[in-house]
Amino acid sequence: MIKLDKIWKVYDTGKIKVEALRGIDLEIKAGEFVSIVGASGSGKSTMMNILGCLDRPTNGKYKLNGNYIEGLDEDELARIRNKNVGFIFQTFNLVPRVTAFHNVELPLIYSRVKASERERRVTIALERVGLSDRMTHKPNELSGGQKQRVAIARALVNNPSIILADEPTGNLDSETTIEIMEIFKKLNASGATVIIVTHEMEIAAITNRQITFKDGKIISDKLNNCRNYEV
Amino acid sequence: MNFIESIKIALKALWINKMRSLLTMLGIIIGISSVITVVALGNGTKGAVNSEFDNYGASSIYIFNRYSEEIYQEDLITNRDYEVLGRIFEKQIEAKSAIINYSGVTNKINDVKKDINLDVNGVGNEYDKVINFELISGRFLSKQDIVSRKNVAVIEKELAIEKFGKEDVLGEKLSIKRNDEVKTFIIVGIYEPPKSLLPAMGERAKVVYIPTTTAGRVLNLSDQIYFMQFSLKKDVDAENVIMQMINVLERKHKNIDQNKFQGESAEGQLEIINKVMKILTSVVGAIAAISLIVGGIGIMNIMLVSVTERTREIGIRKAIGATRKDILIQFLIEAIVISGIGGVIGTAIGIILSKIVSHFIKIPATTGILVIIIATLFSTMVGIAAGMYPANKAAKLDPIDALRYE
Ligand SMILES: Nc1ncnc2c1ncn2[C@@H]1O[C@H](COP(=O)(O)OP(=O)(O)OP(=O)(O)O)[C@@H](O)[C@H]1O
Ligand SMILES: [Mg+2]
Repeated sequence: MIKLDKIWKVYDTGKIKVEALRGIDLEIKAGEFVSIVGASGSGKSTMMNILGCLDRPTNGKYKLNGNYIEGLDEDELARIRNKNVGFIFQTFNLVPRVTAFHNVELPLIYSRVKASERERRVTIALERVGLSDRMTHKPNELSGGQKQRVAIARALVNNPSIILADEPTGNLDSETTIEIMEIFKKLNASGATVIIVTHEMEIAAITNRQITFKDGKIISDKLNNCRNYEV
Repeated sequence: MNFIESIKIALKALWINKMRSLLTMLGIIIGISSVITVVALGNGTKGAVNSEFDNYGASSIYIFNRYSEEIYQEDLITNRDYEVLGRIFEKQIEAKSAIINYSGVTNKINDVKKDINLDVNGVGNEYDKVINFELISGRFLSKQDIVSRKNVAVIEKELAIEKFGKEDVLGEKLSIKRNDEVKTFIIVGIYEPPKSLLPAMGERAKVVYIPTTTAGRVLNLSDQIYFMQFSLKKDVDAENVIMQMINVLERKHKNIDQNKFQGESAEGQLEIINKVMKILTSVVGAIAAISLIVGGIGIMNIMLVSVTERTREIGIRKAIGATRKDILIQFLIEAIVISGIGGVIGTAIGIILSKIVSHFIKIPATTGILVIIIATLFSTMVGIAAGMYPANKAAKLDPIDALRYE
């Protein structure tokens, strides 16, 4: 479902060229639960942005669900982000000043789902992350963990095949982290491909496959023996 | 994203910055409300003036001596002139009247010291056909009255009520004082003047009609008359008739090209008034257009600020699947909603303002639905024009850059 072939990402900031990704080859199958670890600046976020079609590689081929991304135009990428990918950020990235409900509703609005159907699906999504009682709260009225749940609900509301989470628990305490990870586990169990970037080895250990980045390259890619995460 | 959804989102965004939105709308509000006010008062005045002229017969013309020092005895218009013109232009003339007017006073019947100002008009027996005349009771002046210089009068209803305290005063005596000379007339007719839509300035003198001949004698005129008024048949060119009549008079008085006579047509006056109104309306319209443009620039400015402020939000929206078009429409609609609401508020204020102004300066105001539609369309267009650039700027943002924006 995801196939990367010699992916390069070079940031050209004028004076210096930063090679954030240097020839990544990677294949992730549907239904996998993957973690990406590595030192700061090793290119994890860059990689995630390319996987989520937010950014384009400088070089190389990216095949997602059978389509090569290189050949798609902006609107087609927007459509993929809307339908096939659910993105979760470390900083939550909720639209400020509108309710949790409206935040979760947005992807459905952009895919032109009817209002009644939207309401049904938003309600279900918020139930899945355990936030049914916070629908009308605005982001600044929610705790960090709650905000991230809203973000997760928004990511899953359009039933994407891939969930990408870039350090989703980076701003959360350990207890909340466990709760959030539980949600990802359930999501994966229900069929979604989940890819999580993290600094915490305990979190990486929860996933089934752990990929390690260093200086824009994959230096290790191994399967975990499904240990349970305990405090 | 559908249209109603976009409007809802735009309203939400505007509501968050209530004060700012209102201030942004100000230019549009001022522009639209002044357009509505001016157009309403302009249309109202125009309508009133036009119907006023309808009352007095739009196709009537006046001939009189030019007001000037250089008018000598031999230049004065006479009854003979009047009769000659009447004969020559018989085919063009529907009705005609010579007019000699002066002002006088009469007193209230039960309060002798209270004077009533009178506008005494010596007219011919056809005068009731020259203007729109509505007789309530009695009769108008007859040919016999004119020929035998009878002391009879047709008065307006208001005068009857003011002087006698009642409407039915046929056969009563009306004494008119002029320069300490008092003449008494028998009232033979009472009429109602057409309702004027235009306000009267101050206390209006009450109108009395008496025979021209009688008026001539009161003023000690041998054969002179002051005005000639002709109502013309349909499709007769008033200006042309005036020219020809003046030609005849000049030949007869042997003062060709000396500018002793003047003619005016009601149509010509109407045209002048309408022209003035038009110029006035376009001047104020131009000012209003400028304030709308300034309003539009204000909207553009605030939209640019808004796009910058909400760069991250735009990034988020793009990250979860908003296309360029979605973002473009969102910001464009926001601009249109600002200008549209501004337009609606401006229209409301304009209507209220024109009513208030109309009340104080006593000029009628008419707000047509067309003006409102045009104003609304115009403010919407201002919104589109002002919103296009900022919205396009927002739409073109790269999602990653936008998300990284601090
Ligand atoms: N827009 C950019 N312009 C220039 N350089 C960039 C840009 N974005 C990222 N980089 C560089 O690319 C490299 C990889 O960055 P990336 O954000 O992918 O790291 P990361 O692994 O996610 O790090 P962290 O764990 O701190 O989030 C870094 O050296 C960074 O400085
Ligand atoms: Mg990162």
